[in-house]
Amino acid sequence: MTEKLVVTNKGFVRADFSFWVGLYMDKFYDSFENKKIIGNKCSKCGKVFVPPRKKCGKCNETIPLDNNWVNLPNTGTLLNYTITHYKVSDRAARKAKKPQIIGMVQIDGSDTAIVYRLLNIDIENVKIGMKLKIEWEEKPKGNPADIKGFVQV
Amino acid sequence: MDKVGIVGFYQVKLYSDANYGRYEMIFEAVRGAIDSAGLKKKDITTAISCTNDYYDGRTISNCYTVEVGGGYMADESKVEMDGAHAVLYGLMRILSGNHKLSLVWGGSMASCFPYHAARLYETDPTWERPVAYVNDITAAGFQMRAYLEKYGVSIEDIAKIAVKNRKNASRNPLALQEAQNANITVKDVLDSEIYADPVTELMVAQPCDGVAALLLAPEKQALKITDNPVWITGVGYNQETYYLGDRDLTKSMSMELAGKMAFDAAGIKDPKKEIDLAEFFEAYAHEEVIFSEALGLVDMGEGTNLNSEIDGDIPINPSGGAIGGNPPCGTGLIRIIEAAKQLKGEADGYQVKDAKKAIASGQIGMCAQNNIVYILEGGN
Ligand SMILES: [Zn+2]
Repeated sequence: MTEKLVVTNKGFVRADFSFWVGLYMDKFYDSFENKKIIGNKCSKCGKVFVPPRKKCGKCNETIPLDNNWVNLPNTGTLLNYTITHYKVSDRAARKAKKPQIIGMVQIDGSDTAIVYRLLNIDIENVKIGMKLKIEWEEKPKGNPADIKGFVQV
Repeated sequence: MDKVGIVGFYQVKLYSDANYGRYEMIFEAVRGAIDSAGLKKKDITTAISCTNDYYDGRTISNCYTVEVGGGYMADESKVEMDGAHAVLYGLMRILSGNHKLSLVWGGSMASCFPYHAARLYETDPTWERPVAYVNDITAAGFQMRAYLEKYGVSIEDIAKIAVKNRKNASRNPLALQEAQNANITVKDVLDSEIYADPVTELMVAQPCDGVAALLLAPEKQALKITDNPVWITGVGYNQETYYLGDRDLTKSMSMELAGKMAFDAAGIKDPKKEIDLAEFFEAYAHEEVIFSEALGLVDMGEGTNLNSEIDGDIPINPSGGAIGGNPPCGTGLIRIIEAAKQLKGEADGYQVKDAKKAIASGQIGMCAQNNIVYILEGGN
């Protein structure tokens, strides 16, 4: 196709969406307000999930809302990482100022990993297996952004 | 399972910016598929499409593709996954015994929206989306690193896969021009822009514009339409859990289980010996390696050592694969068409010798959370 024939139309409709976080995630975010992280445990296989959930898929076991909560520390281990110059939410606008290191971190005492930025760590010093801890927002609001990222212990 | 015949197909040329409307593109593909079988629109008894509301910029996006997509006043439905999943829907309609000819088409125009940013809409809206660290590309960065670390494989070995597919694409006239490169080197791939380390730009199957269509018919009907159909003799599909942090990213459980199901249906005992070629929807170069291992075409951790060139031990993506062009919702369907071309001996310029049995696969989700596998056989 050669010359530009088609006039594009932005065609935006403003129709915002609100999500209910659900009862399990509500408890999870409540704990963020106290700078604490919690998980929940499958009674069958003993796996501890972060974020918490209603079902263990492997066991097809329902995890009750009122039980099986596990208090977890602010520390964890780096399982995996990637480095990107891009803002994930805005790739079309191209690059962020500095490459960010995004890590998969297993909180100690849990069996899953969560994805957050690594802060104040130079790229050459990132190592799988390194010990990390959560850097909380000073005044947490009870949402995922309360965890600013992870710093080296 | 009863075998089902592929009796016609058509794919439009892939463009990074096709600069013509999606409806014209859909019509070209659907008309082309019907013509390739020497049939008429009225012969279609069920029309299945694959598009995505977000990618099409409108809800229930098939409401507007009725006429061009062969669905006017017809039995019509849509799958919002990969085109290869729409083929499953079309296949099931045939196997129900109620339909004689099933039209399946899929595709979209990635030039109209920021594809990778849109993939953020796939993430958990109450947990991952607000902080925005996960999309298809960062997920791929995690998976590639996990694989390299586990098996001590080098980045160069993964780059070689991208080189092979881009060279193969240069022999496929319908591939995306930007992906066609007969002279590409490993260094070119490694020197291309870092998307999410260790994944570089040229390891990514670039989202583009394109539509493809195919026709399915039950055995008896297929033999009436053509004396050279390609048979679908097995299909398998599988889905694993959503959160990346719950999964072992060094392998693809869903591909392994989908493969088992498809091999069982087709009576394949030893895929290494029995499969002549594979067309995978590899959204990233490393996925091709992980899929080959999951399907038992090569031992675990050995995927980069497989000679998968067109004249190799098991040719993989002789057409260039998804790296040769990745129109969202069309890519997996194109893999099936490309495998069918090989079995019919119509892959002019990239034909695999003596191709009798092939694998074609589609996928959807972060790190190919969901995989679907077809076994195709040539001859009647
Ligand atoms: Zn369990």
